[in-house]
Amino acid sequence: MCGIVGYIGQKRAQPILLNCLSKLEYRGYDSCGIAIANSNLQIYKDIGRVKALEKTLPLVKGTVGIGHTRWATHGEPSKINAHPHSDCAGRIAVVHNGTINNFQELRERLAQEGHTFVSQTDTEILAHLIEKYLDGDFTAAVEKALGEIEGAYTMIAMMVGEPRLVAARKDSPLIVGIGDRENYFASDVPALLDYTSRVIYLEDGDIAVVTANSVAVRSNGCPIDREEHKITWSVEDAQKAGYEHFMLKEIHEQPRVIRDTLAGYISAGEPMADLAGDGGGLNSTLILACGTSYHAGLVGKYIIEKLVDVPVRAEMADEFVYSGQATAGNRAIVLTQSGETLDALKAIKKLKEEGCRVTAVTNVVGSTVTRVADRTIYLRAGPEISVAATKTYIAQLIALYWLALPYAKVDIKKLDSLVMGLRQLPGNVQQVLDNEEAVAACARQLAGYDNVFFIGKGINYPVAMEGALKLKEISYIHAEGYAAGELKHGPFALLGEKTPVVAIVTQDNTHEAVTTSIKEIKARHSPVLAIVGEGDESMAGLADMIVTVPAIDPLFSPVVNSVVVQLLAYFTAKERGCPIDFPRNLAKSVTVE
Amino acid sequence: MKQAVILAAGEGQRLRPFTLTRPKAMLTIADKPILQFVIEALVTAGIREIICVVGYRKEQVYDYFGSGERFGAEISYVTQTAQLGTAHALATVKDKVAKEFLVLSGDNLIDVKTIADFARISPPAVLVKRVSDPVRYGVVDTEGGKVKGILEKPKEAASNLVNTGIYAFTEDIFRSIGDTLDIPDVLNDMIADSRDIKALETDGTWLDIVYPWDVISLNNAILKDIEVDLGGAIEAGVTLQGKVVVGKGTVVRSGSCIYGPAVIGAGCDIGPHVCIMPATSIGDNVVISSFTEVKNSVIGNDVSIGTGSIVSDSVIDKGCVIKGRFTAVGGKSEVRINGESPAIDVGVIMGEDCKVENSVTVQPGAIIGNYCEIQMLKMLSGKLPDHSLVY
Repeated sequence: MCGIVGYIGQKRAQPILLNCLSKLEYRGYDSCGIAIANSNLQIYKDIGRVKALEKTLPLVKGTVGIGHTRWATHGEPSKINAHPHSDCAGRIAVVHNGTINNFQELRERLAQEGHTFVSQTDTEILAHLIEKYLDGDFTAAVEKALGEIEGAYTMIAMMVGEPRLVAARKDSPLIVGIGDRENYFASDVPALLDYTSRVIYLEDGDIAVVTANSVAVRSNGCPIDREEHKITWSVEDAQKAGYEHFMLKEIHEQPRVIRDTLAGYISAGEPMADLAGDGGGLNSTLILACGTSYHAGLVGKYIIEKLVDVPVRAEMADEFVYSGQATAGNRAIVLTQSGETLDALKAIKKLKEEGCRVTAVTNVVGSTVTRVADRTIYLRAGPEISVAATKTYIAQLIALYWLALPYAKVDIKKLDSLVMGLRQLPGNVQQVLDNEEAVAACARQLAGYDNVFFIGKGINYPVAMEGALKLKEISYIHAEGYAAGELKHGPFALLGEKTPVVAIVTQDNTHEAVTTSIKEIKARHSPVLAIVGEGDESMAGLADMIVTVPAIDPLFSPVVNSVVVQLLAYFTAKERGCPIDFPRNLAKSVTVE
Repeated sequence: MKQAVILAAGEGQRLRPFTLTRPKAMLTIADKPILQFVIEALVTAGIREIICVVGYRKEQVYDYFGSGERFGAEISYVTQTAQLGTAHALATVKDKVAKEFLVLSGDNLIDVKTIADFARISPPAVLVKRVSDPVRYGVVDTEGGKVKGILEKPKEAASNLVNTGIYAFTEDIFRSIGDTLDIPDVLNDMIADSRDIKALETDGTWLDIVYPWDVISLNNAILKDIEVDLGGAIEAGVTLQGKVVVGKGTVVRSGSCIYGPAVIGAGCDIGPHVCIMPATSIGDNVVISSFTEVKNSVIGNDVSIGTGSIVSDSVIDKGCVIKGRFTAVGGKSEVRINGESPAIDVGVIMGEDCKVENSVTVQPGAIIGNYCEIQMLKMLSGKLPDHSLVY
């Protein structure tokens, strides 16, 4: 998905284009660019987000411009491939959202006619085609160019010296925003709401010619009157699709994310297997990550150790940079959802220097990590807006299961049931979501406390840590995640009526030990919220509050338990009136040390 | 007419077990929620601005439709906290609507033909439809294209024209609503006030779903109009015949036969040697193991059906895990809901997230609640409540 915008009017186009683009970042943000017409055409573009581009820009004059933000689904984002694209003479600029099917054929023909291409993109064809047909009438040239194109071509074109923007819609959305002596284009309404609430929706096949004072739409060569709409809703509402916060929306997307991530791996045909890429199988491995990804990595340690029976170390990337050592097997998995986390990138540099083979797991196609790692595995979580990571973390867990399965030292029957268990996770997570009112009720209790402990054991110990981190970052309650058995070595001194404990109880060899810990905690009068599998009656009469999750293979239980702790943090923060999507002092991806 | 209000807050009690975690409008027919048919009809008719009134289990609507972009619509949401009636629901959007707008029910299945003419009518107006069993609905008495009165579920129907629950209104309607809870009552009041309300008849699709087994007949009716679309990986030695849709990322393994009309969702694993017979809809991420036949049935997302099973005339809701040698074949059913039993042959109606062990046989028409667990070698019949354990 991409976002495109255009402006023509009396004001300086630069800040308007950048602002409109930033509102479209929910459609993607791996590269972006703007073109502004002055005495010549000025194009500024780069990989990365709009804010980053903004910092590098000089002050540009000019009141006509177009812009683009991109989320690559295939192909690497690069400065050269970023939009806008221009023609040979550098007078025409084009932004485009779609795919041109007959791109190869057109490119060859244009090259023969003497056009030089600088990028690999299909979009650049458009600029050269318009140049080819240009004969005094810019609009006619665009129409002729579009006549040659097969495929999806929602686009906006501009030219130096032309007081107009020419746009076309095919298969991707495009709207015209009407202002006072100025007009706009955008992929979606939210981009424009800071400037106007009057919009025209273009239909497939429409060509719109827009000047500062006029909008003319043509369909099949005939002028057509497209009705103006008044937008009554706000920007935020649209993107949150009914939800009050992005975080809850993204938590609810998780069943779909798991389904998409799995479908992507399964249909890829090749097993993701072969971590080493050299057929050497899976020996001891090192997993590096930061923050929430680190907790996913810790779960990964348990998954691989349990299934493959090899030693695995999971470490914080930042710590590793200063004092870590690679494993004997010289293999490492690095998790970073944004692909730009500086600590993770530095760790990879160190690993590479030590001769390690690095597999990166990331959600952003073409991000920096994909260029420095030997191999990349993509998550299919889509853009995540909320600062507190939820769906990318769940997708990381799924990737780790899928990584380990091909090496699993289990019989074929067990392997079958594991693959089946993995497939049932979307339904299991949906069940947790359907039961969110019960979690919300517990959260309303938690909201009244200043300190909370989370405990878990074995594979759910990292989930306890993740629960504590989520609660800290969005509800500002001090929380700590502990291994159940560690609590008695010190933290017991802090227990009491005012310090509740959230306990994750798993139906595996840790069950008895965790139950014992909870009894010890109850003896210190701490309120206990237990997260247990359905049918587990052991907490009745012991815990003060109980949330049940579907009873599934303990190996997969971190997935459902994580969703519970996410919801717990969300509803606690909501009860306390916190700014959930944008917690204080935090940013989505940490690109500084 | 550029705007539409869709009422999608209703629970659909009589459709249990399918409406425990979703509103009636989110029931799936031919791999799409009913509400999607309504939204697609509106978008095709040129109405993109849609306000959805949601209430019961509203998150399911948010999660599926989002901001509407995937469907070419701009959807915004308003919550009706207590579902008291259609007029009450409509009143919640008073401050959000344009001068003129359509009102539709999110849980009647329609197509663009149904509303194409109606979208151009000048309000106020009611869309009516001729049906064979009018006493189940609000019967509309008309004269010269005008409504004379609407009588809800009469003992004897004066005509077979019924109210489709699709209306065209201007913002004036809010002055007439007052404390009245249902739209037909509001209209009757307006008529008593000698206001003119037009009646326009449609011959497009308008299907109501009342009982859980209606899912089977509606699915059958809708699948006739699908268009072939093959994504995914179809192995050599697979037979495809008729109109078949296969979603992306799905694998259909060797030796399998799919006879359309049939829809298979994304990310499924079908076969080897599986027969998907006509009038079957299968959701996303479904596994159907070897030597199983599925016919005239609706299978939800994330379901798995084991080897050597026979499933016909059935609805199996999302997340069910059924082991091998499961048998559910349609026949005359003794099961009743509100005194009504199905007019069609029904196999099994199974709620979500059930676990069924090997070699379970279901007698025709049995209704298995949500989250049931069935041990091996059991024979099921009648109605099982949610969370039943059969040992």
